[in-house]
Amino acid sequence: MFFGLTITAATLLLVFPVAWMVLTALRPASGVFYVHRGTEFTLANFAEALAKPEMKEAFFNSAFIATFATIFSLAVTITSGYMLSRFQSRASRLWFGLIYLFRCIPYISWVIPLYLLTQWLGILDTYLGLLLPHIAIHICFFSWIMKGFFDGISPEAEYAAYIDGCSRWGAFFRIALPMATPGIVALGILSWLSTWNEFLFALILTGSRTSMLTVRMAQFVHETGIEWHLMSATAVMAIGPALIVTLFAQEYVVKGLKV
Amino acid sequence: MLALILPALAILIAFQIVPILIGANASFRRWSLFDPQKTFVGLENYARILGDPIFYRIVLPNTFLFMFASVTAGLLAGLGLALLLNRRFHGERIARTAVLLPLMVPPVVAAIMVTWMFNDQFGVVNAVLAVLGIEPVPWLVSRWTSLGIVILTDVWLWTPWFTILILAALQTLPPEPHEAARIDGAGAWQLFRNITLPLLRPVLMVCITIRLIDAFRVFDIVWTITKGGPARSTEVFSIYAYKQAFVYLNFDLGSAASLIGAGIIMVVGGVLYKALSYAVEVSR
Repeated sequence: MFFGLTITAATLLLVFPVAWMVLTALRPASGVFYVHRGTEFTLANFAEALAKPEMKEAFFNSAFIATFATIFSLAVTITSGYMLSRFQSRASRLWFGLIYLFRCIPYISWVIPLYLLTQWLGILDTYLGLLLPHIAIHICFFSWIMKGFFDGISPEAEYAAYIDGCSRWGAFFRIALPMATPGIVALGILSWLSTWNEFLFALILTGSRTSMLTVRMAQFVHETGIEWHLMSATAVMAIGPALIVTLFAQEYVVKGLKV
Repeated sequence: MLALILPALAILIAFQIVPILIGANASFRRWSLFDPQKTFVGLENYARILGDPIFYRIVLPNTFLFMFASVTAGLLAGLGLALLLNRRFHGERIARTAVLLPLMVPPVVAAIMVTWMFNDQFGVVNAVLAVLGIEPVPWLVSRWTSLGIVILTDVWLWTPWFTILILAALQTLPPEPHEAARIDGAGAWQLFRNITLPLLRPVLMVCITIRLIDAFRVFDIVWTITKGGPARSTEVFSIYAYKQAFVYLNFDLGSAASLIGAGIIMVVGGVLYKALSYAVEVSR
């Protein structure tokens, strides 16, 4: 009895804010201030929120950057993780120290000079100017996790492939990579979500041309804080990918987090 | 072999190491819009930040309060939830899905949800208080309630992370120590205090270390909920450095502030790293 009540209460507490937002998003503009009263519901808010061109753009930009940042981060860290796993001996401790060091440095310390750097390179407020820093921020941590994936795969199978005449690269692509795929997928999902959710880089390194969803929403809440029905509809759509992942790819996420 | 790490290394150098050097350079110069000379001024910017009462009276206390309150609450809630979930029960899947949800939600969206729930006129929290006969509280106009709300948001966002990592550790614990202790007549609390907790120490230490370091640099939820207000009273370290650089347009002061923060967290992180190695060593 005690157990049932506590677990129910905990579940409700965790879900309540999201549920409340969904409920607000479904209320017409006139009913939004008294969400708990009235029974009118509508889907019009979603259409209205999406009708704003800057919101449509922001959704596209966020999805675009998240997708490509994930692809490139994985591409460059799969090989560096493989290298760390298969070739290292003493370097491992040093590498971990370096990762720890880079993890400690607060994002704000990168991003102030990154603004100057991307401006100097002429890529401020372009996709490239946001992609490259996002990839950079993932490199250390992802390499480390990738190393873990490859450490978990015995190199025996690769040795067998060499004997059968496979090249080093061949063994990597045909043996090691397929075996590490589940882990890489999990990491990819988390990477996609982390870029989609990211705020500070997006705030500083983008302008009107490449505005990201999180930044648009934060502006929205400060400038037009009264239009809560539209705000909620946008927020619910922004949670969309998270909902899909939580419902359909749970095992992958838990796997990815445990590393 | 070098080809395998070359792309990663190149991006790392260009977009992580070089920016830090640029920032360090800017922090030693006068680097504002009005001075194209970029005169070298040594440690003057550092002295100005460290001598700024807002920095040492408000920003640092806020940051450390946020760190410790949010990590402690998240850890306790996460540990409790993990202990609850560590069994088979009806509706297990629903509970686990609910636990995972906050972890996926963009922090900005979480901040917006909380801002709406704590809205002084139309928020659900004040509506509930009204039912209970309590006067509506203007949550976001005072320093402590604002900070409390920010901390609450962070706890909501991160409790699931603690839960998942601790639950994973609980499920790999060997059953023998618990069985032996139970035979010796240990109660539930004794079991937890003397067996489970020591066995969990390594994973708890890892969780605490990672979260403390991350909490130190919190930006998004504070920016969305309070923007550092009312009257700069809820500014945390990242907000302070951001405002120096991008609101007051003093890149030199912003860089100096951000590097002072980096220095502080490196010292804290170094201590934590030692504690972490020790905890992992002892448990082996």
